[in-house]
Amino acid sequence: MSGDDRSGGARRRGRAALERLVRASAAERVFISTAALVLSMAVGVVIVLAAGRMTTCGEAAAVYFGVGFCYDPFAVYDSLFLGALGNPINPLFRPLEGQFAPPFRRGWSPLNGQMAVTLRETTILVFTGLSVAVAFRAGIFNIGTQGQLVVGALATALAALYASPLVAGLVGTLVLIPFGLLVGALSGGLYGAIPGALKAYADANEVITTIMLNFVATGVALYLVAGPFKDPASAANETVSLPGYAIFPPVVFEPRDDFSVLALLFGVALVGGVYYLLEHTAFGYDIRTSGIQPEAAEYGGVDAERTVVSSMAISGALGGLGGAVYVLMIIGNYQTGIPAYGFDGITVSILAGNNPLGVGFAAFLFGVLKSGSIVVDVNTGAPPQLVGVLRGLIILFVAMPEFFRLLGRRVVAIEPERPVATDGGRPGDGGDDAGAEAGGEVDE
Amino acid sequence: MATAVHLDGITKRFPGVVANDDVDLAVRRGTVHALLGENGAGKTTLMNVLYGLYEPTDGQVYVGGEPRRFDSPRDAIDAGVGMIHQHFMLVDPMTVTENVTLGNEPRKWLGLTVDEERARREVVDLRDRYGFDVDPDARIEEVGVGVQQRVEILKALYRGAEVLILDEPTAVLTPQEVDDLFAVFEELTAQGKTIIFITHKLGEAMHAADEITVLRDGRNVGTVPADEVTREELAEMMVGREVLRTVEKPPADRGERVLAVDGVSVDDDRGVEAVSDVSFSVRAGEVFGIAGVDGNGQSELIEAVTGLRDPTAGRIVYRGEDVTDWSRRRRIEARMSYVPEDRHERGLVMDFDLTQNGILGSQHSDEFACDGRLDWDAARDHAETIIEEYDVRPPNRRAAAASFSGGNQQKFIVGREFERDPALVVATHPTRGVDIGSTEFIHDRLLALRSSGVAVLLVSSNLEEVRGLSDRLAVVHDGEIMDVVDPESATEEEIGLLMAGEDPSDGSGPVAAGATNEGGR
Ligand SMILES: Nc1ncnc2c1ncn2[C@@H]1O[C@H](COP(=O)(O)OP(=O)(O)OP(=O)(O)O)[C@@H](O)[C@H]1O
Ligand SMILES: [Mg+2]
Repeated sequence: MSGDDRSGGARRRGRAALERLVRASAAERVFISTAALVLSMAVGVVIVLAAGRMTTCGEAAAVYFGVGFCYDPFAVYDSLFLGALGNPINPLFRPLEGQFAPPFRRGWSPLNGQMAVTLRETTILVFTGLSVAVAFRAGIFNIGTQGQLVVGALATALAALYASPLVAGLVGTLVLIPFGLLVGALSGGLYGAIPGALKAYADANEVITTIMLNFVATGVALYLVAGPFKDPASAANETVSLPGYAIFPPVVFEPRDDFSVLALLFGVALVGGVYYLLEHTAFGYDIRTSGIQPEAAEYGGVDAERTVVSSMAISGALGGLGGAVYVLMIIGNYQTGIPAYGFDGITVSILAGNNPLGVGFAAFLFGVLKSGSIVVDVNTGAPPQLVGVLRGLIILFVAMPEFFRLLGRRVVAIEPERPVATDGGRPGDGGDDAGAEAGGEVDE
Repeated sequence: MATAVHLDGITKRFPGVVANDDVDLAVRRGTVHALLGENGAGKTTLMNVLYGLYEPTDGQVYVGGEPRRFDSPRDAIDAGVGMIHQHFMLVDPMTVTENVTLGNEPRKWLGLTVDEERARREVVDLRDRYGFDVDPDARIEEVGVGVQQRVEILKALYRGAEVLILDEPTAVLTPQEVDDLFAVFEELTAQGKTIIFITHKLGEAMHAADEITVLRDGRNVGTVPADEVTREELAEMMVGREVLRTVEKPPADRGERVLAVDGVSVDDDRGVEAVSDVSFSVRAGEVFGIAGVDGNGQSELIEAVTGLRDPTAGRIVYRGEDVTDWSRRRRIEARMSYVPEDRHERGLVMDFDLTQNGILGSQHSDEFACDGRLDWDAARDHAETIIEEYDVRPPNRRAAAASFSGGNQQKFIVGREFERDPALVVATHPTRGVDIGSTEFIHDRLLALRSSGVAVLLVSSNLEEVRGLSDRLAVVHDGEIMDVVDPESATEEEIGLLMAGEDPSDGSGPVAAGATNEGGR
């Protein structure tokens, strides 16, 4: 009896917590994310200390409470976060101890090389995050952003390469970069439209088709750059490098940083653009309606097939743009072994609750973690695997509340819906919806 | 007599709304208790508290004299409280027996397999005990709504329900089925069960219940014995004023033919023909009614007319054009309004607020979108107009559709569709779940549309409603139009026979001269 009570209480609390989460306001969600970040770091500190005890090293990196540890968690987190920004803090700035030296380190500039790495990663992830978010809002789980990015990258590298002899200098930059972006968007868009059409007209599950198309994209790209389009002068599988004027101008950063503020601004503009598209256009209304209630969308005159295909095309175009920027800003040609930006985009999108505005912030957090990991590697003795664990923890903790929100929406939304459904709804259609939805799959 | 259920000071708050405000309710064992009240009065919420779907903000539930705290319907069922939702939770392809025992099947061979014989025996015993007319081997998809409802009741009884809650059980039934349901109530109470049911029809409450409780604005305004109260008193308790019930229907001023359905056949979801070779037409300024027991092809026919389902044969002509191949959107743009049967799946996007729901279907129209850009200010004004005109409560256009009571959701949909400046209104069960005051208002609006030259195609299982509003009435059975009658001269019995698929043609048929099927052939 008392055991029953206890489990009942736990269930009630669980449901109440879930409900709370689903109904959380935007400010609350920011607070939850911040709290999750702090919590993940607290757990990370314990892990780093424990790992530091279990390793043998010549000299302890830190001594706490008279015990030596091989890795200093505070140094690790310091490098991870502040290192990613180029160590902005003046070591003499200790407000808690009453020392008010200038807060920023002398000689620190926001335009440093490490910041460039951070923002470079952020830029690409903004594109892939938006790509996943758009599809998600249309109720489509696009795992294929990676493939769309690969296709966009390859098409851009080749198109810009063949067009480059026709122009040169500043004119070349002004022509080739928009041209390259356009090619990336179009090719990625077309590649995204394929699984869209398969879903709309052949009822093929997009999760399966996009995963398969990822393999197709990487495989075909490998064949092309290993054979027909291979740079004969290189041992690696890559295309001929683009001329300097076909590369994004670095503007305020150093050319060797492989980062351009212009590309970042373009990404930020797209964040606003996608937000506007979803919230303020009739087409965005169609997308959102089909995403959450396809029957109502159909009733409201939304052409389900067309919406699936076009939202997948937009999603693919955003992924393709990511690939184009990767080529035109970072590597300057197409090489095999493109990092998994597309898959990181899924996490970025979930982290952002599939909200385009949130994608900007989530991509920046990801950028910091990626770039900071390099700093940790260089500055501290902590092995990269351990840093990987810390990164994973942060993402897990920050994404978890959003993930539960996504899940919880299905559970909580059903609870009030069921009672309401008692005095409306079509009778006798087998009550399939409540049951099936409670089953809670995230697909379609 | 002992108290079966006692709700003591129940308060249920939602953000910004007090749905139940310190409600006391005691129901004696072996009686039928009716719950009345306007839309949004808190009836469903109160019953959901009793059934464990909601936890009360305050107050205590007693069942059988014991204080109870339910975390879920499961707990409520264990305590002997069963609820029958209007949206039935049955599995179509399974038999009655399987549905009744689902989840609680008797097992054999160490629980490895279902003891089907015993299951069937138990269901037959239960059925015979309460005198239900149900075939235990029939599949759910083969039986009508009334039978499905009885299966739901059997399901609750099988799980040991002592108290049965039914939320608007009669809304989907024909008069005959309503009588059958009330007979079931009598049988159940005779055997000591307790019944609580929600209704908007005063007559039903007075006829079937022993006691009636009226809720208003979340408060209990009084519990009265059913045989000592008049309709007027009840209406006054519900709305706080007198309610007149007169549908003034001037003679139809028919114009040109707006809709012609010509030899149309439609398949249902399973690919079985649900509508066979149906023809009729609707003229401007008239209400063409379709009466019939739910599930006789009305849904499929209407979906074919509104563009949600492709007919397998025949033509649909709208304002002189063949629209059979037109998309749903094109039909909306051609001023075809549609109050759908299923408000939760189709009529409203439950997660959207009313502002967003107000433009569903018009999101591409010039009124709300200019060059594809949505004009949210216009959408807001529009939602506010509907809310005010159609008395949607609470009047909060920012609240999600899911948070509104069933009747208020319906009022909002009706408002949206009527305010579209339609040439044709297709309305299915426009007042289902709507209280008397608002029903009257919706009827008035419908007739006002008719007077202004709009063609109205009305489908309702509420015979009183279709007879009262229609100028011509088609009775459908099994996917075919049995006859088109003059609703004024045809008697309820004649229509009832037609609905059952029998031809009452003993010479003087009910077919009135001016009302014959003047279909578009
Ligand atoms: N899940 C919810 N969230 C917020 N408010 C709610 C929720 N459920 C109900 N309400 C509000 O509580 C009040 C009572 O609703 P309830 O569904 O109980 O009314 P009702 O008496 O059943 O009405 P109807 O006759 O229209 O079915 C309404 O104002 C409604 O808006
Ligand atoms: Mg209700």
